[in-house]
Amino acid sequence: MPGLPQVPDDPPPFLGTWRRIYVAVLIYLCVLIVVFYLFTRAYR
Amino acid sequence: MRALDWIVLVTSLVSIVLYGLYRARGSNTVDRYLLAGRTMPWYAMALSIMATQASAVTFISTTGQSYVDGMRFVQAYFGLPIAMVVICATVVPAFARARVYTAYEYLEQRFDTKTRALASVIFLCQRGLSAGITIYAPAIVLSIILGWPERATTMLVGATVVTYTVIGGIKAVTWSDVQQMGIICLGLVAALVTVVVLLPSSVSFGDAVFLAGAAGRLNAVTTNFDWNDRFNIWSGLIGSTFLFLSYFGCDQSQVQRYLTGRSISESRLSLLFNAVAKIPMQFFILFIGAMVFVFHVFVQPPVLFQHAELARIERMEAFQPVAQQYSRAFDDRQKAALALVEAHRAGDRAAAARRAGEYRMAQEGIDQARTRAAELVEQTGGEKGFSDTNYIFLSFVTRYLPAGLVGLVIAVVLAATMSASSGEINSLATVSVIDLYKRYFRRGASDRHYLLASRWATLFWGAYAVAFAGWGKKLGSLIVAVNVVGSLFYGSLLGCFVLAFGFRRVRGTAAFLGMLAGEAVVFWIFFFRNISYLWYNVIGCVVVVGTALAITYLAPRATFATPRTQPPG
Repeated sequence: MPGLPQVPDDPPPFLGTWRRIYVAVLIYLCVLIVVFYLFTRAYR
Repeated sequence: MRALDWIVLVTSLVSIVLYGLYRARGSNTVDRYLLAGRTMPWYAMALSIMATQASAVTFISTTGQSYVDGMRFVQAYFGLPIAMVVICATVVPAFARARVYTAYEYLEQRFDTKTRALASVIFLCQRGLSAGITIYAPAIVLSIILGWPERATTMLVGATVVTYTVIGGIKAVTWSDVQQMGIICLGLVAALVTVVVLLPSSVSFGDAVFLAGAAGRLNAVTTNFDWNDRFNIWSGLIGSTFLFLSYFGCDQSQVQRYLTGRSISESRLSLLFNAVAKIPMQFFILFIGAMVFVFHVFVQPPVLFQHAELARIERMEAFQPVAQQYSRAFDDRQKAALALVEAHRAGDRAAAARRAGEYRMAQEGIDQARTRAAELVEQTGGEKGFSDTNYIFLSFVTRYLPAGLVGLVIAVVLAATMSASSGEINSLATVSVIDLYKRYFRRGASDRHYLLASRWATLFWGAYAVAFAGWGKKLGSLIVAVNVVGSLFYGSLLGCFVLAFGFRRVRGTAAFLGMLAGEAVVFWIFFFRNISYLWYNVIGCVVVVGTALAITYLAPRATFATPRTQPPG
């Protein structure tokens, strides 16, 4: 059984670095939780 | 089911299966069969990962969960973006550079053979049981729609899935998932639009949302901390982060998806897409359940949504007072709801508060009647811990959706099941062949031999999943059952990978003993303590890491100093 080939590690398609993309995802999560919390309070 | 429903159902399923098999042609080597030759683009992997999670269980069970318990289940996904970021930064590049077929193969490179073998066996136990639940879910659909016995339909779905998976491999699974996500999105939007359109003309969409909130069905975020409470923001952020770290970092059924990527970046993008899209999607599905609840504020639902059990207890004398209590409570709730809407529109806060109290009291009456009916089911030979949560959405679909849409929703449920099951069975076969058969039973055989072994292993795990189907219904809500089963094993697997990536001094024997200790503690908690399953992952992981570190730093060095082994070439 032949070994697997190595795959390349390209830069991200936007925001320049992966670190910035990770930060953007975590900020998005915070915004989502705040929106859901306000939604819950509004209809409690 | 009307003729149009059958046409939509058959057309959807046949096109999905044929498209998947068409894209899978040429899967005639082990790396093409198990890893698609590492040629998949990010969007195909992303949609495949999403479709696997959005299995039949998602439609059947999540909507029912929202109907009875509100939307707080969405918090169980708050840890997903955090977990995805961690996995993209650490696990994805490590696995890609290690050039492994399975996550557990990496453990041998890092630790030793016994740690790899133990992790593989834990995965096989856990995923094998989950595969049974996955196949069982659509049997509920067919038993309601066609009146077939659940066992027979489980066998039928299982046989279809096995045939499809044996022929297609991971490439067929992935490309059929892509098509399924389109149908899933279409089905979701159609279901929500239909339930809103079916509301009484005097009740607007805004009124419906208000009524859902007044009944506690829009509780998307709950901030109270309680170890016994399954879903709150704390168990969501902490517990589910560990669950998803385990699921996407250590579970071969997911790892195998992003190992098919043609670059590390493509694999990362596929996971980050899920980090962004999964929570809104889950919110949307739960919202449909909340709207189905409001629909049934104005259209009386059956006392129990499991028709067969309801028909059985309806003939009993003891059921009559239950039915009367239920009807009275329904009438009271409907009147209170209309009065509440009026007061809300008029801006009369005092009247609204009073009507809201009446509305909730009537809801309690309905809940009590349903609980009494469920007790009757249990007392008269029905299953212990009877729950009809999984039947709520399908009952709505089959009774109230127009021709064509019923077929579409059932196609979505069946197609998603076939995809999720085929992915699970495919990964079980991969671990069986790569981590156990090739490593311990038949080294150095030809590629063709391992390809054939993979197909036989797929057949075996399909039969195993069918044999264990139905076990999940004893655990209540299917969506929760899947996560409970996973959480029994995930903490230990995660702990082992945390050791692999984060603690360079830890050796194989310490990791091995840590995993055994982690499993022992988690099973003890499961049987003897009442703690939400989301915490199992945290506890299991902490015990594994703590035990391994204690052995590494406290035990005499010669006692557990296992030399690192190299995998066979």
